This record gives sequence, structure tokens and C-alpha cells, in this order.
Amino acid sequence: MQNNLYTIAKKDLFDLFGRLAAKNKVVVPYAKGEKLYFDDFDPKKEDVIELGGIRQSQPFKSFINPAREKVIGSGKDKRAHIIAGVKACDLASLTLQDFVFQGGEVDDPFYTENRNNTTIIASDCTYAKETCFCTAMEGAPYPGKFFDLSLSAIDNYFLVEVGGPKGRKIADDFKPFFKNPSLHAVDIRQALRDRVSKQVQGFIDKRGTQNTAQIKGVVKSNYDLTEFWKDMASTCVECGACNLACPTCHCFLLSDEKDASGAKRFRSWDACLYNTFARVAGNQNPRRHLHERLRNRFDKKFEFFPETLNYFACTGCGRCIEACPGDIDIREVLKGLVAGKWNRPPHD
Amino acid sequence: MISCSKNPYAFLDAEVLKVTDETSNIKTFTLKPRADISFRAGQFMEVALPGVGEAPFTPSSNHDFKETLDFTVMSAGRVTKLLHQAKAGDIIGLRGPYGAQYPLDIFKGKEVFIVGGGVGLAPLRALLYALFNDVNDYKKIILRYGARSPGDIVYRSEIDSWKARANHIDIAVTCDVGGPSWNGNVGLVTTILRAERLDMNNAVAIVCGPPIMMKFATFKLLDLGFKDNQIYLSMEKNMSCGIGKCGHCRIGPYYACKDGPVFSYDKIKGLSNIWD
Repeated sequence: MQNNLYTIAKKDLFDLFGRLAAKNKVVVPYAKGEKLYFDDFDPKKEDVIELGGIRQSQPFKSFINPAREKVIGSGKDKRAHIIAGVKACDLASLTLQDFVFQGGEVDDPFYTENRNNTTIIASDCTYAKETCFCTAMEGAPYPGKFFDLSLSAIDNYFLVEVGGPKGRKIADDFKPFFKNPSLHAVDIRQALRDRVSKQVQGFIDKRGTQNTAQIKGVVKSNYDLTEFWKDMASTCVECGACNLACPTCHCFLLSDEKDASGAKRFRSWDACLYNTFARVAGNQNPRRHLHERLRNRFDKKFEFFPETLNYFACTGCGRCIEACPGDIDIREVLKGLVAGKWNRPPHD
Repeated sequence: MISCSKNPYAFLDAEVLKVTDETSNIKTFTLKPRADISFRAGQFMEVALPGVGEAPFTPSSNHDFKETLDFTVMSAGRVTKLLHQAKAGDIIGLRGPYGAQYPLDIFKGKEVFIVGGGVGLAPLRALLYALFNDVNDYKKIILRYGARSPGDIVYRSEIDSWKARANHIDIAVTCDVGGPSWNGNVGLVTTILRAERLDMNNAVAIVCGPPIMMKFATFKLLDLGFKDNQIYLSMEKNMSCGIGKCGHCRIGPYYACKDGPVFSYDKIKGLSNIWD
């Protein structure tokens, strides 16, 4: 195990990013106020690069399943991507994204190309915020799988773990940067991880956020509790932000365009909260009402995927809570479902 | 560059050979694909206007006839309105086939009771031709078809020739509203669904039409004694990618594009909004 662990000094890591950026597109998280954003590595902005912290505002899926991908027509950036600072709640979504785009009879070659061309340098969360609930969704605030390298911030260096062949290659290619860890580095990492896990669990306990064992089957059993769904949807403005910010949402729209160079087709993120999502010709719509579309979001995440993939399609990243202008909180919806009742009139 | 054969979103060129006016807003397009793209009755394809858009349709022709494919299309939305302007010689795109075919193996030896409404006769025409290919393998082939008015009947000239193919073929057509050119039954298709002379223990029913018609036809078939698992329904949802990835056509635990579009009623009866 020890031969997969190294340490790297912070300045060596930035030096490494600079060298990798010569041949690859290297993306790192930057702090902007309280939030983190992914952007191209820029050595001039090293002081605002934040490899710890929490998940970025932008879901990591956007690098592998971009918001808009050309699927017919020429022209595509062929450079390999190295994305640093990816958090565990985003890594957890790869179970689903891989299943959708690479599972089944037909592989999506655009996804696979992006997936193969992307090196994931994950990192531990160094704190949690109130909207974090990964541990309720069978996750943890540190990388467990799907990473090529992981970084755990300890003082002014990082403990590095190699998790895959692409990570191994970086560690081998740039050997001088990667030093042997001290005997206690792993213990220190564990202590730091436990501290953040406890912080997440504290937020979960304080709010009474339900976990996967508690929410199993609750959408199905409350499916016809129409008043509940209507009330939950009463402040929804159908912006689709919850869908677009979500690391597990995968639905897309195919759209066609043409110009002088010929026909083009794009695969773009779609949102099941949009009225047009399930609509068909003749204005037929199986989810005509907004509360049906909100319910559909929960049905897909907490019934469809548990049934088809044995996977709760929520990683507890809390992005949808932050993104929703109507203050619809996924944790509160799930709490209401577990309670199994809503403000029904007494005669009902 | 991802090659065309590996790109599930790329379409194959097909030439429009012939355009047949079926009704005032329904046309049948006979297409000659540039390469083999054969299908089995019940499967659907995405028909694309390159650079404009695409929409899912089930071919309406005989699946044993590989040279050309028919698509019968009602002008109902953005893509179909433009498709209706296509003329012989135009090139359009085809992607597919997708989904499951009608389970002909299960239908063999049985009385096959087919219920169609409006342009929903299109996929059923492919089914009828598939049944006609081995006509003696089926105990009876019964078609009950309803159109809004005599002018809305599709394949009007063909329907009579279907009746003449074998003695055990029984076809009846009704119109919601009659007219001077119509001396047949007037009423919804449910008014001509009767169980007499049907061997319920050895029958299957197949329904395709507008959602409201599918709903009431299914309820009528259940009244007549068909069991849930003897009724096959075309669940035409917003099938977009065709390969179970884009998420648009989900019905409960299924995707219509992958697990359907034809479902036996027992598989979907407990799911919400199936008739919308």
C-alpha cells in the first residue's frame, strides 16, 4: 500500500501543474468569496487556488459530459484534460454517469472519449458546509474510488495517493516531486478525514436529514400524496437549476443546426423540470403539471436508479439546495416523505 | 473523429422515393436507405431532417421487404410539418431501429385482435404485413380501426385488399363522425370491439392510437375478458436518443425506447400517467 503513497510540497504541486499544462488542459479550483470554481490553471493566480475546501459550484460531470457537446459535425478540442481538486461527492456520480453513457447495449463514444482523456486528481474536503450531507448518501468527504491521484492537504504539503494508471504515470514521470511520506502521514490524514466526516454528520443530525436506509421506497409509497408534491412544488419556478447543478442528472436533449459547413447535432443537458421535457407532438404531455415534474425528479433519483442500478442518485453535494431560487430543499422533501404525511385536511 | 458507424447519434442517408397523401394531414413517405437498416415490426426509428431535427416513427411497411421503408407521418409538430414538405429525390436521415419488436412468437397460433386509431394504424400496418407473411400461423387476424371521419382513414384503398388475403382475416372500420361517402359504422372504435366468436383463452390484443383511445380501448378489452398480459400497447413517449440514455421516455422503471415501445399492459398498469 505504502508504494502508492507519496507527499508533494505545495509549490512542487503547482510546478507540476505548470509542466502538465504544457501538453494538457489543466483545470484547478479557485476560491471566489465562499465558493469554489473550476478554471484553467494559471500560475499567476496560485494564491487563490483552493485544493481543499468543499466541492466546487460547477459539477465535475461537466468535464466528461459537457453541457453542450457536438455529436455530428467536425471540430473538437482533442487535448487531454487533467482536473484537480475533484471532491468525493462528484466522484460518486461517476457510478451513474458511467452506467448511463457506457452501460447497456450502446456506448456513447463521446462520453467514453472524454472519460478516457480525463485524469482525475481528487482531493479531500477540508471542511463541510451546512448543505453537505454526503455521509447520509453512503458517501464520505474524501475520495474512495474513481480517482487517478488524490490529494490530502496536511500543513504545507499534500499526501498523495495513486488510485489508477494515469495517476501512476504522473508519479513516475515526475518522480523528483514525489517524496516518501512520513510514518505518521496516513494517521494524520485519517484524523483530518474523521474530523470533516464528523462535521458533515453534525449538520445531518442537527437538521434530521434522512439517510439512504430511511428513504428507501418513500417516493413510491407517497407517490399519490398529491397535496404534498403540490406544496413542495409551490415555489418552483421551473428554472432547471437543480437538474443542471446536479452531479447525477444525466438527461440530455439532441438538437440540430446547420450552417455553411453542413448539418450539426448537439447533445445538451436537459432538465426534467422543464414543461417540454416529456412533451410529444400534438401537445400530449405525461407530466403536464409542475408537481408531477418535481415528483419525477425524486422518482428518478430515489426509485428508478435504486431499482435499476442499486444506487441512490444523490451524492449529498447540496448544490441543488444552493441553486434553487425557490428554496426547495431536497433534504426537507425527503424528510416529508419519510414522515409520510402532509397537512391534509382533517376530514381526508 | 468518431466514425459514423460508432456514433449512435449519427444518421444514415435515405432518399425519398415516393410521397403518398393518405389524408389531409397524413402522408406516407417511401424511403430508400443508402445501406441496410432493416427492422422488425414494432421497432421504431428516428427520422431526421439533417440540420433541422428528428422525431421517432415506427415504419409502416413489411419488415421482410428490405429495399425500401415506409413511414406514415401526421403533420403535428415542428419536424413533421417540415417533413411534409419533402419530395421525391430529397435526402433525409434514419437512425435505428430501436426498441423491441412485436412478440410474433407469442402471437403464433392465437387469435390476434388488433385495435387501431387514427394514424396509429401505421405501426399496425407493419404488424399486419408481418402477420400476413405467415398468415396461416395465426388462428385469426382481426382488425378494428377507428378514424375521426371518412376523410381521416389512412391506407383506405389498401384496407379492402387486406380483407381478401385470407378467410380468417376479419376487418372492420368505424368513423367517429360519418359523411355522405361513408356507409359503414359510425361511432368510436370501442363501439366495434366485441368478444363474440373470440376464444379468450387463446387471444392477444394489440392497441395503437392516440392516448385517449388507447385508454378506453384497453378498458373495453378488459371488459371483454382480455387479461392484462394479453394486451399489448404502443407507449409512444418522447423517444429522443433511442438508446436509453437521454431520459425523456421514462415510464416508471422502463425506457420506452429500449424496453418498449410496445409493452404488455401487466407491465405498466400500475405506473402513473401512462395514458397522457
